[in-house]
Amino acid sequence: MDPAGRLGPAQIDVLAQLSVSTVLLGSIYALVAVGLTLIFGIMRVVNFAHGEFLMLGMYLAFWSFTLWSIDPWFMLLIAIPLFFGVGLLTYVLVMRGVIHASHNVQIFTTVGLSTALQNVALVLWTGDYHVFRPWHSGVIVRLAGTAFNLSQVVAFVISVALTIALFAFMKWTHTGRVMRATAQDGEAATLMGIDTDRVYRLTFAIGIACVGVAGVLVSPLYAAYPQAGLQFVLLAYVVVVLGGLGDMVGAMLGSLIVAAVEVGGSYVFGAAWKEVLYFLLFIGVLVFRPAGLFGQRGAETLGV
Amino acid sequence: MTRLAPDRLAALLLFAAAAATPLVVRDIFILDSVILILLWGSLSAAWNVAGGYAGQVSLGHAAFFGIGAYAAALMSARYAQSPWLGLAVGVLLSIGAGALIGYLSNRLRGPYFALSTIAFAEVLKIVASRWRGFTAGSEGVPVAFRPGFWTLGLGHVAWLYLILVVALLCYGLQVFLERSRVGYQLAGVREDEDAAEALGIATRRRKVQAVVLSAALTSMCGSLWAQYVGFVDPVHVFSIDLSVRFALNSIIGGMGTALGPFLGSVLITSLETYLRATFSGLKAGFSGIYLIIYGVVLILIVRFAPEGLTGIAGRFRAWRMRAHA
Repeated sequence: MDPAGRLGPAQIDVLAQLSVSTVLLGSIYALVAVGLTLIFGIMRVVNFAHGEFLMLGMYLAFWSFTLWSIDPWFMLLIAIPLFFGVGLLTYVLVMRGVIHASHNVQIFTTVGLSTALQNVALVLWTGDYHVFRPWHSGVIVRLAGTAFNLSQVVAFVISVALTIALFAFMKWTHTGRVMRATAQDGEAATLMGIDTDRVYRLTFAIGIACVGVAGVLVSPLYAAYPQAGLQFVLLAYVVVVLGGLGDMVGAMLGSLIVAAVEVGGSYVFGAAWKEVLYFLLFIGVLVFRPAGLFGQRGAETLGV
Repeated sequence: MTRLAPDRLAALLLFAAAAATPLVVRDIFILDSVILILLWGSLSAAWNVAGGYAGQVSLGHAAFFGIGAYAAALMSARYAQSPWLGLAVGVLLSIGAGALIGYLSNRLRGPYFALSTIAFAEVLKIVASRWRGFTAGSEGVPVAFRPGFWTLGLGHVAWLYLILVVALLCYGLQVFLERSRVGYQLAGVREDEDAAEALGIATRRRKVQAVVLSAALTSMCGSLWAQYVGFVDPVHVFSIDLSVRFALNSIIGGMGTALGPFLGSVLITSLETYLRATFSGLKAGFSGIYLIIYGVVLILIVRFAPEGLTGIAGRFRAWRMRAHA
């Protein structure tokens, strides 16, 4: 690779570095996307305010670090129940009333929520970029010709752990089964004695908890500002549509694909154009396989 | 003699009031407010053609607005040609873009269509920000003020009447859609696409036509906005916030009604202008306050009065008639 040894002992194997980057990035996208797809799959609502909860998670980590020097990793213990509660509250105050309304009403309810939350952040914390550097963002982990900072690696580990925990919960617990039953057929679930309102409440809270935690995890890596959620949520739409709206396994695969496009695209074309790549991918999938790469054809025209 | 329907009468009063404003006051602040009310109303009316009448709810109409704004600004700043020429080029490009996005996302319904339009506007935003050699990138394009009608360097009074003509055009098109065969077909598509298709309506063609018409009008207003404001930057003209704003006026006023977008614009634009004037002393983040109100109003309206203000007025009239009977 480097016969003259000019790069010294710290040289990086490009292919390995790109592959590991893809997996690390993909795991965080998965955590954002899994919440979005869960909410869509069970409640049939596209949450256009999803990114704003990620942004709030970033601010939570930023302020607790700068004001009380609490490490974002420790904040996770607080963030999970906190965002679960925020999700419950949002459901009760905003979402419950429109759960059976038309698509347009649902779209504009969450769009309104997004606008309101973004600007609450703007008023409270101004539009400035807030960056902070906990000790672990400066620690470099080297492994088999790749190099990453510790924040990224831990974010990966925690994202994967939480996603697996969510899968296990959905698959093996009674509540998880009840949620899946509601996703399959809400009306039949009601007839079987399932309280769908409770299911929706729980679903929304779990989805928001996932994305809030993702916000805390990415806070040492990206700047916090009122529109910070937008870039992630646009990505999450791509991921979720790729995997098929409502499909959790699809969301995992979609995350890896989008991360690969992003990592590979910025290596080949430069970071400036990578977004164009995945939006073109997005439009391509919407046009040619709107039900997702692995989904059943025709779901999109049923207007689910 | 047929009596004028109350919503037509209200629109007539609104446009008459706008036309009479320069005769009464010459205050720049007031004239500017009226111009913006008419312009945002026209833009919402353009959105309403696709979103309200045809049910193609787009969250990416900023794409067409941006195309129009850039076409006019670049035509005058880069090529020293008339912005009218830019406006025409913008409209043509938007017709092409509208046909493309309309055709490609033809099968998509509900949230899928909204998502694909967002993606489209985002792609254009990135291209406009990164293609420095042509668009000047994220620095934006300043539009020089050159007096004259051909160069669109106009005084406030002339702008007001020009935008009034545009507003009347948009309103007239909507009224046409309400009464024509095409309009009924679009309503059919909106209410039940499968049923409409079963009745022999060319649903796909009608949907694309609605998006194209809507795109052309939006682009035209975008060009005029660029010349009026005098500055175009990619992050603003292609933003989701702008797309939401077009939709918001229509929803508050009443989607799928000719008066709705203008009624919504009167309320929202006045509210914005008032809050801007009130809070301009508070520097940091004041601009967020009215946007918080936007968001909350949007949630409340779609929750409690999804048919908008014209719908509320209709309900009230029905209630009064019943009370009299």
